[in-house]
Amino acid sequence: MGAQQRVYKQRIRSAQGMKKIFKAKEMVAASRIAKAHARVEATTPYAEALTRAIGSVAAHSHEIAHPFLDSERKQTGRAGILLVTADRGMTGPYSHNVIREAEQLANTLRDEGKEPVMYVVGRKGDAYYRFRNREPQRSWTPYKEHELPALGREIAAAVTEDLVTEDPAAHLDELYVVSTRFENRFVQSARSVRMVPMGLGTVDGENAATYPLYEFVPDAESVIAELLPRYVESRIINILLQAMASEHASTQRAMKTATDNAETQINKFTRLANSARQAEITQEITEIVGGADALSGSGRTER
Amino acid sequence: MTTTTDPQAPVAEATGATGRVARVTGAVIDIEFPPGNIPELYNALTIEIEDTGSGLEASTLTLETAQHLGDGMVRGIALKPTDGVVRGQAVTDTGAAISVPVGDVTLGTVFDVTGMPQNKSLDQLEITERWPIHRQAPSFDQLESSTVMFETGIKSIDLLTPYVQGGKIGLFGGAGVGKTVLIQEMIYRVANNHDGVSVFAGVGERTREGWDLIEEMTESGVIEKTALVFGQMDEPPGTRLRVALSALTMAEYFRDEQAQDVLLFIDNIFRFTQAGQEVSTLLGRMPSAVGYQPNLADEMGMLQERITSTRGHSITSMQAIYVPADDYTDPAPATTFAHLDATTELSREIASRGLYPAIDPLTSTSRILDPRYVGEEHYQTAVQVRQILQRNKELQDIIAMLGVDELSEEDKVTVSRARRIQQFLSQNTHLAKQFTGVDGSDVPLKDTIEGFKGICEGEFDHITEQAFFNVGGIDMVLENQHRIDKELGA
Repeated sequence: MGAQQRVYKQRIRSAQGMKKIFKAKEMVAASRIAKAHARVEATTPYAEALTRAIGSVAAHSHEIAHPFLDSERKQTGRAGILLVTADRGMTGPYSHNVIREAEQLANTLRDEGKEPVMYVVGRKGDAYYRFRNREPQRSWTPYKEHELPALGREIAAAVTEDLVTEDPAAHLDELYVVSTRFENRFVQSARSVRMVPMGLGTVDGENAATYPLYEFVPDAESVIAELLPRYVESRIINILLQAMASEHASTQRAMKTATDNAETQINKFTRLANSARQAEITQEITEIVGGADALSGSGRTER
Repeated sequence: MTTTTDPQAPVAEATGATGRVARVTGAVIDIEFPPGNIPELYNALTIEIEDTGSGLEASTLTLETAQHLGDGMVRGIALKPTDGVVRGQAVTDTGAAISVPVGDVTLGTVFDVTGMPQNKSLDQLEITERWPIHRQAPSFDQLESSTVMFETGIKSIDLLTPYVQGGKIGLFGGAGVGKTVLIQEMIYRVANNHDGVSVFAGVGERTREGWDLIEEMTESGVIEKTALVFGQMDEPPGTRLRVALSALTMAEYFRDEQAQDVLLFIDNIFRFTQAGQEVSTLLGRMPSAVGYQPNLADEMGMLQERITSTRGHSITSMQAIYVPADDYTDPAPATTFAHLDATTELSREIASRGLYPAIDPLTSTSRILDPRYVGEEHYQTAVQVRQILQRNKELQDIIAMLGVDELSEEDKVTVSRARRIQQFLSQNTHLAKQFTGVDGSDVPLKDTIEGFKGICEGEFDHITEQAFFNVGGIDMVLENQHRIDKELGA
């Protein structure tokens, strides 16, 4: 009986301990969302300027050829998937959602006869593929939040190299990015987008007038060759920052639920412990009363 | 204590002595005997109850001497209701303990505690020998400890709590988790394929279940090699306390005199303890822990030590043990534990999920679950199954708070295999056929081990959980999967 109480008490204690951790994590995540969102916003002006620049180059020279723009890139049939997951646990369904999205994408690609190649950011995704003996081509883990821009550049350099290389064992025809987009505090969604080959919607020359007249030195092609990798880099950094903000938001929500669940567990076990204690008390009283009765009774009836 | 009832011992001079009823309090009757003619302890006393026209039929009431109070006063415990007993009525000392018919004559017959046939008249039986129900346990040098496994065809039992041939098996469980059903299932499986005789003792359980059993046995013909003794819940405590001994005495005869291998089923040992508690209180003994009789362990020992196998001849016993309020630390089940070779615990939590037989894989144990007896493969598989289920149990708190996504990849696999194992531990039983419409299955031990080993090693990770529910061997799982696939495809 006492043993039962002890079991419940112990489980209450462990749930209380976990509840404290969940609560703390929830508050930390809540405070980080705003900061992470601000960093996403901060990359916007540069990204817009870059997009404008590419747009104007494309508008002026109709016949630019660059490997990133060629929609008929077919050499090896290898398609890279850059997957952004969390490095840590307790982020709710965050990592799970992107991994599922990536798996779907990989299946579609396989159906199209392409060979998906994984580039994974974050320990969760890395562990997922390693556990299934499908080791990613490259993985970046662990990473630190304040080093995201540097990480983004490193990733961009790595994938760019694989995109342009002539080595058939490493060459990528396409590059997809699967990550979580931060819509707002409450809505984040796992998305997959194709980054390479890019489609420039403005190459038809119709709205050429929107851009000022430029002269390219030495020519438009070398300018765009300079611009496109930077564009990829800025997109990847932006994606990483958005993913980070989403991770914080997801963590906050998951930890809120976990705190509530811990509370429910504590309540449940407290009730059980109380009834176990009360049963023990009742039993003891019954035994004492019964024993006393039997003692006083035996005096009268015996002999 | 039992020496006084040795059939060979000269009967005390009190034979035929007559006393008179001095006091009646429920099932306890005080009788005054003339000095020098006091009946020995455990002697059976009889009172003739006459038909006084008040609706009571004339009958003989049997008492058992329980205490000597001094001054010629004897306290007896009635084995029938004491209606109609009057102070001053004559009481006859039979000069011997309660005895029951033994031998082949008991087969196919239903008895009460005093050995009166219930489904036949006394004249139909040719009783050649009667044995007193109080006997010595076999002496130490006659005992034989067997380590041969006894296959039941129920996966969860064979794998996790392998039964011992000639051993004592306990089925523990709270109210309504399926003890009686499981013991009847065992009778169905074991007694039907058993060469020797079986003895069934109904102790303080439902009378209806007793009749169901008799009917079923008559249908299957097993009754011809089974002796049944009933003292169900409508009987006074004295009967419920002695009925297990009556049945056991019949089993002992088959073991000792006919050198047979006997199966003894007792449903329910807790009622024996409970009856002892009632009697103890009526006798005015001081109650001990949780209100049980102070001689709880002694009483249990007296019964359990007799249920044993001797050299060459075995009694394999299966006992259902009710666990009050699902509390295994209650003195009654706790005292019984120590006597058993294999304990199968039924769990309310598993029963509530609809997984039958609701055997708790983590707490059920067996003495022979040891690589020396059951073999390395069986042992390792059982250990692995337990480990997976134990890990799953530990993870339940985390899953409850954080959700299953939060687990590491290894743990996710563990949880999914644990769920398959839990489903696979359920099985279609013969007795459940009338509810499920599915025939029961007997799974050979080899298939059981193979199946669980496969699940543990991830061979069946691709099969849906549903397919593992209520099945026999793993081939049935694959069949189910095939059917599910077809339904989904259609």
